[in-house]
Amino acid sequence: MSDDCLGPATAAATETEQLRMELAIAKRRLAEAYQMVSLGRLVAGIIHEINTPIGSILSNNQVILRSLEQLKTVLSAGEPPNAKAFEILETMASLAAVDKLACERISGVIRSLKTFARVDQSDVRKANVHELLTNTLKLTSCEFRRRIIVETDFGDIPEIECYPQLLSQVFLNLLVNAGQAIEGEGRITVRTRSDGEFIVVSISDTGRGIPQEDRQKIFAPGFSTKPVGVGTGLGLALSREIVVDNHGGEISFESEVGAGTTFHVRLPIKADRSKLTAAKPARS
Amino acid sequence: MADATFQPTVMVVDDEEMVITSIRAFLRLETEYHIQGFTNPLEAAKYLESNPVDVVVTDYLMPKMNGIQLLAKAKEHQPEAARVLLTGHADKQSAIQAINDIGLYQYLEKPWDNAQLLLVIQGAIERTTLLRNLRDKISELDAAHSNLKEVQRRLIRAFL
Repeated sequence: MSDDCLGPATAAATETEQLRMELAIAKRRLAEAYQMVSLGRLVAGIIHEINTPIGSILSNNQVILRSLEQLKTVLSAGEPPNAKAFEILETMASLAAVDKLACERISGVIRSLKTFARVDQSDVRKANVHELLTNTLKLTSCEFRRRIIVETDFGDIPEIECYPQLLSQVFLNLLVNAGQAIEGEGRITVRTRSDGEFIVVSISDTGRGIPQEDRQKIFAPGFSTKPVGVGTGLGLALSREIVVDNHGGEISFESEVGAGTTFHVRLPIKADRSKLTAAKPARS
Repeated sequence: MADATFQPTVMVVDDEEMVITSIRAFLRLETEYHIQGFTNPLEAAKYLESNPVDVVVTDYLMPKMNGIQLLAKAKEHQPEAARVLLTGHADKQSAIQAINDIGLYQYLEKPWDNAQLLLVIQGAIERTTLLRNLRDKISELDAAHSNLKEVQRRLIRAFL
């Protein structure tokens, strides 16, 4: 090859590389935007989840303050502590116990949210998939708690090298889809197991199932059977990209109309570095 | 209130035990009301079938039966009992929609304000008491009317 030919070829290669990088940046931004949309969908449930314990804490605080006033009056009387004083103490103790529970509930939700908001998780690291699933389930349970029973059947799996935040996004997406597939009451089962050099996460629902004619299209970007405002048509496309392109894994499903759907996410325990670097965020 | 020994019953229904504990502690501190708490709305509905209550305060989102469905049961079995919805659900649309159907006395949001909750419950009890008194008076009037008619009938018969 002469030098004359090498020049334009190198320029084209550089340009291709440049375009590839821009595409990676755009994809990453799309994934982040979608993540916000997914979390937005859960906001109503999260508000409910947090408002209940906050309501209790506020109420208890008032009652404890009033009880302390009463206790002061009782003790100021100079008489030995009477039944009333003990009753007040008992009430305060029970409310303090409720407050502890309420605070744990709130911090549990906040901890789960942090899994999605953490920006320092842009690098590949070893992560406990059960922890990611549990955090994601905590968020979705705000939405599901009253109509869907969620069961977990966690197997003995090792930590895997992955982008934890991106994987959480996949799990959130699959769980939200499963919840939306269930009309009224139903059940979602999350299973994990080891399979040689891989782990497999399976998310099953007892929902309406995927019609035969839609099965070829569900991973295509923009395809959605949900009304505008509910589905974006990006969830499964991005999930596939995260699993397949960013982690070198596989995503598949089996479905029976009227009985439910199971999604299987198969992930390598050891990361394929050449593929994983492509998923690095474009932030400076 | 006419009867000095009258102890109003407030039913509090929420699938979260902590809400019932907090409201019970607050009402015990501030009032002499009898508090009947339920975490299971189905049990609450069953209770309403045969036990008089003055106010029903219920959460909206609960498993098996939502607050509106429970209040509809309350309306069916005890129409005079005031119905209050205490909800933390962000999407109020369906609750608001149902307000007209079940004749809600008041709609409160979580986190609630104790002072407001107390005012609502006091107002609700007053309303329930007035409605029950009215119902009793109407019954008394009906009975008096029947008696009068009977007397009138006898009088007519005596003079004929």
